[in-house]
Amino acid sequence: MTRRHVPRDLAERLLGGPVVWIGLVLLTAFALGPFIWMLLTSLKDRQELYATPLQYLPVRPTFENYVDAWTSPVTPFSRFFLNSLWVCSVTMVATTAVSVLAGYAIARFRFAGRDALLLIFLATQMFPSVLLIAPLLTQWRALGLVDTYQALIYSNFSFTVPFTVWMMVGYFSSIPRDLEESAMIDGCNHFGALCRIVLPLAAPGIAATAIFAFVVSWSELLFAISFTTETSMRTLSAGLLYMVGQYEVQWGPLSAGVILSTIPVAVLFSFLQRHLIHGLTAGAVKG
Amino acid sequence: MTTLSLPRPRTRPLISWRVRKLLIGYSYLVPAALCMLATVVVPIILAIKMSLYADVLYKPQDYRFIGLGNYVRLVQDPVFWLTLWNSVVWVFGSVILQFVFGFAAALLLQQAFRGRALVRTLTLLPWIIPGVVVGLIWEWLYQPNYGVINDLLIRAGWMHERVAWLSSPDLAMAAVVFTNVWRGIPFFAIMLLAGLQAVPDELYEAAHVDGAGVLERFWHITLPLLRPIIVVATATRIIWTFNYADLIFVMTGGGPANATQITSTYTLLQAYSSLDFGYAGALSVVLLLVMLTFTALYLRVTKGVEETE
Repeated sequence: MTRRHVPRDLAERLLGGPVVWIGLVLLTAFALGPFIWMLLTSLKDRQELYATPLQYLPVRPTFENYVDAWTSPVTPFSRFFLNSLWVCSVTMVATTAVSVLAGYAIARFRFAGRDALLLIFLATQMFPSVLLIAPLLTQWRALGLVDTYQALIYSNFSFTVPFTVWMMVGYFSSIPRDLEESAMIDGCNHFGALCRIVLPLAAPGIAATAIFAFVVSWSELLFAISFTTETSMRTLSAGLLYMVGQYEVQWGPLSAGVILSTIPVAVLFSFLQRHLIHGLTAGAVKG
Repeated sequence: MTTLSLPRPRTRPLISWRVRKLLIGYSYLVPAALCMLATVVVPIILAIKMSLYADVLYKPQDYRFIGLGNYVRLVQDPVFWLTLWNSVVWVFGSVILQFVFGFAAALLLQQAFRGRALVRTLTLLPWIIPGVVVGLIWEWLYQPNYGVINDLLIRAGWMHERVAWLSSPDLAMAAVVFTNVWRGIPFFAIMLLAGLQAVPDELYEAAHVDGAGVLERFWHITLPLLRPIIVVATATRIIWTFNYADLIFVMTGGGPANATQITSTYTLLQAYSSLDFGYAGALSVVLLLVMLTFTALYLRVTKGVEETE
């Protein structure tokens, strides 16, 4: 409140008023404009879609494109959607289990090579996934795993596990040791203390990390196109690309597909935004 | 002498408590280690091995050890050198613009206004959606005949003819970089916003009382205090953008005539389309070396930043 009485200079008055408002409007329009255009496109019928001159708003909004995309026998979007749902859910659960254990070990036990291990997990996050395609494909072919969900799920570990371990170490380190130690004196073993004391306390963070693993797997494209050949095995990302590859691009159903694949991640993200931003910046922003 | 009844000596456990604790710790690490081994470590070794072989998937009869043959081919391949240059344009074009606009966005989103939480969430959208979705949305925006970008520019009178953004060799790179900027602004915005929120208000107030203007406060308080986060965010972004292939792969496939071919998409095409695993292996090793150099630099720089704090 006292700040109000200090005289402001011209630059500050400008920045506080119109510049901020114009900036915010431009920023929001720039971020959302492309989505809104895609949404409008998905609601137009063929005639409106390819009208000259361009028709901006759908006069007769229709959900035909959504029905087409969802039920198309050539590019079965419903199948892509379920494939993605399954692959991402299993990836999420497995990744979380693995990284809870590893994160706990790194946060609680002092052992040789601990820092090196953390560094490896950090470095792998920067890893180019294109590098892994040829060797992983060779590996999956040798194991007969091409066109299976397992190949996609295992491959997803290469980018989900390093990140989630890193996040878990952060969460567990912030929980005081005394709690577990008293539990262990009362007769709990390590695993019991982890399950009964540490996990409940770290639950919000773990949930956020798990959802993040889901979201990044949802976006994964290169593994999905490389390790599956059958249409029925494609995930959403791969399926959308496949829709482009069929004949000429059908922008109507494709735009509906784009909107449908955006909604789940957008909804999930709005829930975990606060946690995620905290986790992402915790390493970087310090006192 | 009366026999002193000593408490029975505790039987020494087979494995001491300290060792046992260590073993438990290691056993917790096993699943994660196996995951990394199977999906990262072994594949890297395999990629290095592949780079030493003539290994084209549909020509198994030609499979043989050729030493550094793939690397010789790499050095003589003009497209490879072009992709390195394109990568530089792609990385620095994207990251510099993302940083500038992301910083502006962070400063805007830090202001107090009604509905701030909603605006923050909405402006993050471009960053969280799948890369293939970003690519397809922009392909449609750039579409020569029905794309809204051409239409708007012509209506505004800035252009007279429709432009084929993604199939013109002069414009394609700018078009994909612009798309990547759209996608990456939120990343810098949230990182820098978190940094801005950590700057104590008292500093600004004190500077204000001392008569420092907005720009002076920005230059002497905001920037220096944000330096660590700027370094970390920019460095991770550079590495990540260099490796990122999805967007270009979806939008142009590296075309037209390799105008947008960066090293990572070139590697992808060798493995995915040409099925030339030997050559893809050699390219992967190059990517790996570049990545390691960047990471080493990054670690040095961030360490330096931490020490000066």
